[in-house]
Amino acid sequence: MTGTRWRKVLRDAWLHRGRLALAVLAIALALAAAGALLATWALVGRATRDGYRASLPVSATLAIAPLDAGFVARVRTLPGVAAARARRTLALPLRIDGTTRQALLFAPDDFAQRELAQLVPDGGAWPPPDGTIVVERSSVEFAGARVGESARARTGDGEAALRISGHVRDVSVAPGWMEHVVYAFATPATLARLDAGRVRDELQLRVADANADRDAVRRVAAAVRALAMREGRTVGRIDVPVPGEHVHAAQMNSLLLVQGAFAALALLFAAFLAANLLTALFARQVREIGVMKAIGASDGQVAALGVAQALVPGVLATALALPIALLAGRRYAALKGELLNFPMDTVALPVWVPVLLIGLGLLLPLAAAVLPLRRVARLGVAEALRDAGVASDSGSIVRRLSLPGLPRPLLIALNNAFRRRTRLALTLLALAAGGAVQLASASVRDSVLASIDALFAAQSFDLTLGLVEAQDAATLVAAAAIPGVARAEAWGRARATVRRPDGTPGDELTLLALPADTTLVATRVLAGRWLGGRDELVVSRRAAGDAPGLVPGARVQLEVDGGVREFTVVGLVDGGVQALAYTSFDTGAKAGILAIATTTHDEASELELIARLRGALSAAGIAVSGSQRRAENRRVIEDHMLLVVDFLAAMGWIMLAVGAMGLASSMSLAVLERSREIGVLRAIGAPHAAVFGLVQAEGLVIALLAWLLAIPASIPASVAMAQAFGRIMFAVPLRFAPDGTAVLAWLAASLGIAFLASALPALRALRVPAARALAWE
Amino acid sequence: MTATSLQSPAPPLVALTGVTRRYGTGEAAVDALAGVDLALAAGEFVAVLGASGSGKSTLLNLLAGIDRPSSGEVFVAGQALHALPQRALARWRGTGVGLVFQFFQLLPTLTAAENVMLPMDFARRGTQRERAARARELLERLGVAAQADRLPGTLSGGQQQRVAVARALANDPPLLLADEPTGNLDSQNGAALLALLRALADDGRTVVMVTHDAAARAHASRVVTLRDGRVASDVPVAT
Repeated sequence: MTGTRWRKVLRDAWLHRGRLALAVLAIALALAAAGALLATWALVGRATRDGYRASLPVSATLAIAPLDAGFVARVRTLPGVAAARARRTLALPLRIDGTTRQALLFAPDDFAQRELAQLVPDGGAWPPPDGTIVVERSSVEFAGARVGESARARTGDGEAALRISGHVRDVSVAPGWMEHVVYAFATPATLARLDAGRVRDELQLRVADANADRDAVRRVAAAVRALAMREGRTVGRIDVPVPGEHVHAAQMNSLLLVQGAFAALALLFAAFLAANLLTALFARQVREIGVMKAIGASDGQVAALGVAQALVPGVLATALALPIALLAGRRYAALKGELLNFPMDTVALPVWVPVLLIGLGLLLPLAAAVLPLRRVARLGVAEALRDAGVASDSGSIVRRLSLPGLPRPLLIALNNAFRRRTRLALTLLALAAGGAVQLASASVRDSVLASIDALFAAQSFDLTLGLVEAQDAATLVAAAAIPGVARAEAWGRARATVRRPDGTPGDELTLLALPADTTLVATRVLAGRWLGGRDELVVSRRAAGDAPGLVPGARVQLEVDGGVREFTVVGLVDGGVQALAYTSFDTGAKAGILAIATTTHDEASELELIARLRGALSAAGIAVSGSQRRAENRRVIEDHMLLVVDFLAAMGWIMLAVGAMGLASSMSLAVLERSREIGVLRAIGAPHAAVFGLVQAEGLVIALLAWLLAIPASIPASVAMAQAFGRIMFAVPLRFAPDGTAVLAWLAASLGIAFLASALPALRALRVPAARALAWE
Repeated sequence: MTATSLQSPAPPLVALTGVTRRYGTGEAAVDALAGVDLALAAGEFVAVLGASGSGKSTLLNLLAGIDRPSSGEVFVAGQALHALPQRALARWRGTGVGLVFQFFQLLPTLTAAENVMLPMDFARRGTQRERAARARELLERLGVAAQADRLPGTLSGGQQQRVAVARALANDPPLLLADEPTGNLDSQNGAALLALLRALADDGRTVVMVTHDAAARAHASRVVTLRDGRVASDVPVAT
């Protein structure tokens, strides 16, 4: 195209700069949101797929005792094993900066080993010198574990001083700040000095086949177990994570996928807005197109002008959105990186992300322009020259219905709202969809809170204390009988693995053994019944989801503490995000947990009671390894759950903003197209207030219609969001009726949107001079 | 009668033979033009008169190649317009004919000079610099060079119509068609425009002007009157 035609395109754009700005903003907003998610997805995908695999992650971890170098060497020679090492693990309370937290210390037998679970030093010393610990990066901030800081580890018989000598990154662990655990590394000698009796021996291995599935890894793990057992060793818990996949990657991908779907919808609505704008602009230019054709422009040259016109909002929106999308994408990816404990700052953004975004930004308005452009480009010259400016409106539904009793101005506003039905439909669709997602997110938020309520309503205890060594239940309960304790129960706790029919180890779950007369746990049974006898199992929904064989009536074998026990599954309960199974506490068994119901429930009283309980138990010779407050647990879970709901709701706000801009654009076009009518109204004496009110009322009618449509539309949106939440976190009950308060809040928001979106067009209507509006030519 | 029309062996610039233009079908069919035969020589200034609905605009559309006859033939400068495909017609319009409209129809977001350059752009005539120079030259010739860089909305009606004539001449077409060119001008500007069209015809260009303006006939070299789609009279005007 020549300079003259480009100048025409740019000046035409400038002529409609207000309306164009709305379309540009809407496209830019949707594109920035979609682009940020795309960039995040690409970065997280690249980091967790390539970066995680590059760290040569552990394929399986087996608790084996005793564990010696000779056995590890023999494991390395087994078919399918690429690398193996011994690792010592010690769990103990660690006090840093005056606060005691649960810590997990790891001591690999060889820090120089690069063939398995590579660790990346992140400052300070590496490997840890004897008598010091190197803290995993994700635990540093929440524990205040700066290099050079002193820490005190509570051991079985007192306390030991440790210095924090460095930081290291281990991408295989879930973030310490999220798990409320301090992960750290030390030498085997340091662990032995701290508490040799409680150090657990683990064998970590990586399978040779980089593409092996979970079953293939389990078969290799079973071969290692068989070798250990042949040699008279005890094999306990076997952990086989999903191969090649970071522990939280699936959740992240699900969340990004759902957000991406909303962003795609927002983009679609932005395209509607662009289609509305370009249709109206092309319609106003029909006669100009006729003139251009009359002076020699071909259909192709006219179409090229239209394409250039459609490119203007695309180019502006892309220029605006691209840097925001890439920056926001990097920030969001960094946040995801924190949640995944994965470094994102060094991951390069794939070049296809900006290329795809530029393509999307440019093509979206072009795609929206195709139909109107095709129509005007094909118009005959004579027909185009005869055009009166804007095509006549279609007949009004309201006029046909002739609603009696309505005031004339309201009737005109209703009438006006229905004059451009396609435009009305597209505007309503965008606004109603934004509203539906808002109502749905309110509904899912209620469901999540109700689910958390239900989850914690089943728990009547306020505190749990973990013990260094399992104790006799009666002794434990007696030692805990101090003022402030309303009821105490001794529970058993173990990590268990579901044994699969082929003998290979299955998924892990937490096994809680409760007294038969427990009053501190009263979980609602979803299927089957609660515990009634020995060797019975009630499983949580998450555990049943992980291992599909765990259904009421099934006989299952669990590998617990190196042995195999058979249970009958009798019931299914809701256990939140945890894979959990309850069984009855065997008479004479030892308890590892003390559950307490307190007489007062404020934070200070509970913390004071924990300190007194520690003292009382210590006096009875019972060492406490850690404590948890139910209120604190609830707060952490609630924060995590609502963060996911908020991530989903954020996309609803973006859709709503796009819808509001669509309404503003529609109202602006309506005023532009009806300037002659407005002139007539003013010529026959319509006061300012009447003209202003007419435009405002039309916007209000559209917003109210969108509000009405959003209510039924929120039902499928709620179902979709609840299912998405279920995939990301845990199943929440579906709600088919939107919350009344949310509906009213959305009504207020709709009225506000209508007022704001129509205000400027209404003011513009006031500036239409009667004389100019009547002089059509 | 002009000197050109006296040279009988020269082929006419415009030749319509048995041209009928029918709108609608069956009983609703209306013949806007019915069997019109007309030949116009180069350098003629033809005023086409007639009441509303007589077929004036249809005749102009057929000559401009923006409409096709239902039957009959239309030749302009040797081109059989009735047989040209749409794409070729669009190309031909760019160079074969210049159009002047009653309401000027200048593109509002282009300056006067840019409006004049536009047909040259479409026809890909010369370089951008050459197009700008020719636009200036035409505006100069028509007495509106001072308004070259102004937008149409800031010009008077007379100035706009002169810019429109300059645009019609941009690609130097042999045929100039004007649809009620004085209809939106005051008498002084109207008279000046008619004199301008006459001068263009005197330079050898054929000018066909559809008009209601009785005064306009005084400037024409020939007056064709249409009635009910037929040529009711076709008389030369003595100059």
